[in-house]
Amino acid sequence: MNIFINGHQFDLNNQATVADALSAFLSKEQQKLSFAVALNSDFIGKDNYSDTALSAGDSLDVLFPIQGG
Amino acid sequence: MSLTIYGQQLNNRMLIGSALYPSPEIMKNAILASGSQVVTLSLKRQNPQSQGGQQIWQYIQDIVQQHQGYLLPNTAGCKTAKEAVTLAKMSREIFNTDWIKLEVIGDDYNLQPDPIELLVATEQLIADGFKVLPYCTDDLVLCQRLYDLGCQVIMPWASPIGTGKGLMNPYNLETIRLRLPNATLILDAGIGKPSDACLAMEMGYDGILLNSAIALADNPVNMAKAFALALEAGEQGYVSGVMQERQTAHPSTPTLDTPFWHHPGA
Repeated sequence: MNIFINGHQFDLNNQATVADALSAFLSKEQQKLSFAVALNSDFIGKDNYSDTALSAGDSLDVLFPIQGG
Repeated sequence: MSLTIYGQQLNNRMLIGSALYPSPEIMKNAILASGSQVVTLSLKRQNPQSQGGQQIWQYIQDIVQQHQGYLLPNTAGCKTAKEAVTLAKMSREIFNTDWIKLEVIGDDYNLQPDPIELLVATEQLIADGFKVLPYCTDDLVLCQRLYDLGCQVIMPWASPIGTGKGLMNPYNLETIRLRLPNATLILDAGIGKPSDACLAMEMGYDGILLNSAIALADNPVNMAKAFALALEAGEQGYVSGVMQERQTAHPSTPTLDTPFWHHPGA
């Protein structure tokens, strides 16, 4: 199935979870960085990455700290 | 010179942004020169291959840890309550703080906060345990509603973000101070020069939040010091009791026994 991560299309298997999507998007080193996730504009906590299933067309946002005012 | 934010006493009245500096090193030195203990930052999509954001994040963490400071994540770019609530929850997880500078923008031209969405988001976030610092317009009734919802800190704008126009509506700002004597009022956005900060403090505001005025100065580090001095001057002016303005001139020098003139027949 196709999902979107930060607006880019990814092809994942039909049983994929948020954790699987993050593995496709980030290297193991990058997964150690500070980031947070939203699925279809709803916050998903780190503890729920592995048990949150994805559906075709889902949109995942992976956000990182940046400077701000 | 102290400021209390949700029970946390700070030894400085400036909250400072981390964006727009010429370099990370200048950002760090400017923040240190300001004396501020509260640094704002944000969350955005990034290419994970890019290390730029991570470097800034590391810098900010170092500054905050070295000076027992605090992070204040914002919800910049959000246009609905739902977006802002989601971003606030993401920020709480990453930054391990329940403080949130709540921004919900209603107009792209002047980045004016949307008061309706702001109130909706504030109510939801407070119910979820957040300590909300709302960025809002200088509308008294909006500020009152935010206070009634439980915002101990309210942050009306001086003028639109990044304009440097200073205090556009001093009457509105003074009225908010007068009508909400127990709220912690922080003037946020539009501050351009140190005298703006001084004026806010002379009005009895509790602090300021600024970014562009320092980051875009020719010498950001020196400008940070200037703002720190202006805050100190304004606060001392406020607590010292400013004289009443008068409509007519009054000579400062005693007029008794004035020589040479006012002679009869002269």
